[in-house]
Amino acid sequence: MGIGGREFVVDVQELDADRFEVAVGEERFEVTLQGDEDLPEARIAPAQVATAATAPAAPKTATLPRTVRPRAAGSSLSALAAPMPGVILELHVKAGDRVERGQPVAVLDAMKMHNLIGAPRAGVIAEVCVAAGQAVGHGDTIVRFGN
Amino acid sequence: MPGSDTLGLLMQGLNHVTLQSLVMIGVACVLMYLGIVRKYEPLLLLPIGAGCLLANLPLSPLVAEDGMLRVLYDMGIRNELFPLLIFIGIGALTDFGPLLENPRLVLLGAAGQFGIFLTLLLALLLGFSRPEAASIGIIGAIDGPTSIYVSGLLAPHLLGPITVAAYSYMALVPIILPPIMKLLTTKAERRIRMPYSQRQISRRTRILFPIIVTVLVGTLVPFATPLIGMLMLGNLMKESGVVERLTHASSNEIANAVTLFLGLAIGSTMVGSEFLKPSTLAILVLGIVAFAVDGVAGVLFAKLLNRFSGGQLNPLIGAAGLSAFPMAARVVQRVAHDEDFENFLLMHAMGANAAGQVASVVAGGVLLALMGAA
Repeated sequence: MGIGGREFVVDVQELDADRFEVAVGEERFEVTLQGDEDLPEARIAPAQVATAATAPAAPKTATLPRTVRPRAAGSSLSALAAPMPGVILELHVKAGDRVERGQPVAVLDAMKMHNLIGAPRAGVIAEVCVAAGQAVGHGDTIVRFGN
Repeated sequence: MPGSDTLGLLMQGLNHVTLQSLVMIGVACVLMYLGIVRKYEPLLLLPIGAGCLLANLPLSPLVAEDGMLRVLYDMGIRNELFPLLIFIGIGALTDFGPLLENPRLVLLGAAGQFGIFLTLLLALLLGFSRPEAASIGIIGAIDGPTSIYVSGLLAPHLLGPITVAAYSYMALVPIILPPIMKLLTTKAERRIRMPYSQRQISRRTRILFPIIVTVLVGTLVPFATPLIGMLMLGNLMKESGVVERLTHASSNEIANAVTLFLGLAIGSTMVGSEFLKPSTLAILVLGIVAFAVDGVAGVLFAKLLNRFSGGQLNPLIGAAGLSAFPMAARVVQRVAHDEDFENFLLMHAMGANAAGQVASVVAGGVLLALMGAA
């Protein structure tokens, strides 16, 4: 897509119902939709820059293609996000592990209750993004899946 | 040579063993067993069991005038001090955030009190007096301190069985609720996902909430002022963040010490002549009816709300509209999670549960008002 006269390759990947990973050129952003905002109005909060710090500075806001609609959580998720705020107590997987859908990935302590977080799909864990004992907010990535 | 008098004096204890006291010692052992082995509310059932045991030993000096258990009873149960002190600690432990994020959940808290009023009517039908029936109904609040507070004012002679019922059933929340929840909902309903609401609750709202609720409830239901006032005081201290030491003490040291005193004192009221009556059995049965009706009413009401919300509300959280905080909410989360491992209702259930906490206190106040308690 063209932004400010320059061409960018934009790739949008859904992480969660209201979270998307947007790759603009070499740079990656995590986009969270606030409340009832629709996608076109979404503001990009560059929460995590996962790769290539040398990429050209990307615009702070962008209009996302209208064709991207939230899908029902299915098997194509590229990451597992924390369903609610809490503290990660245990991690049952490490990078490189192959998991089945539903297999326990982590234990999240929320409101003093231990919640087993299961893998949303079968696949190989590419990256574990949290450590045991770490506090997480709603939507924070716990693990990423490889392709 | 010792005469028969001396022998009689030495054997005094043995001579005063009665069948009733032996049965009560058996009851004490059951309570301690439930607490120690089955881990049912051990913090309460163990002291209650111990108090009951100590009070039923022959000629127990502990329940004589100026005996320790009598002193504890006079200083904290007869004047309602202990349950109120416990309420400060409960308030300091309760997070009203999930309720503030989703205020309509307050309706579920109200529905969860339905058992109180149905049980009251049942108890009246069974021939209990009005104050007695109200005290039995309050078991349906599934809230120990509220039950103690209300029955202490209305029917102190039933305090033992009512407290035991309230706390035992509280411990049975994970056993009694799930079958009711499953019976009244379809698999599809149990699988309704409710995403975590990301609304941020400001510190100002969190601080104003306990003050406003106190003024509002206190004005509408003056009899609920002591309970709601202490509950909200604890919450205000927690949310203000400026009296960390007091918050900590209320929810730890004070609550722990008072729990011990409360348990012992309640246990000491369980003497054979008062406890071994058919009414005790009726109270235990009515208590469980009250509890089950709460669960049924909560789930059915949540199903109704689900209709109105266009299928957005998982009816399971209706079962969390009880006062047993945070147990009821955890049970809801567990049942939903068993059905669909990606469904996390915990926060919504906590909101309904916190609403149930407030609603049960209000219900207690309403009962006292209806009975014209002094």
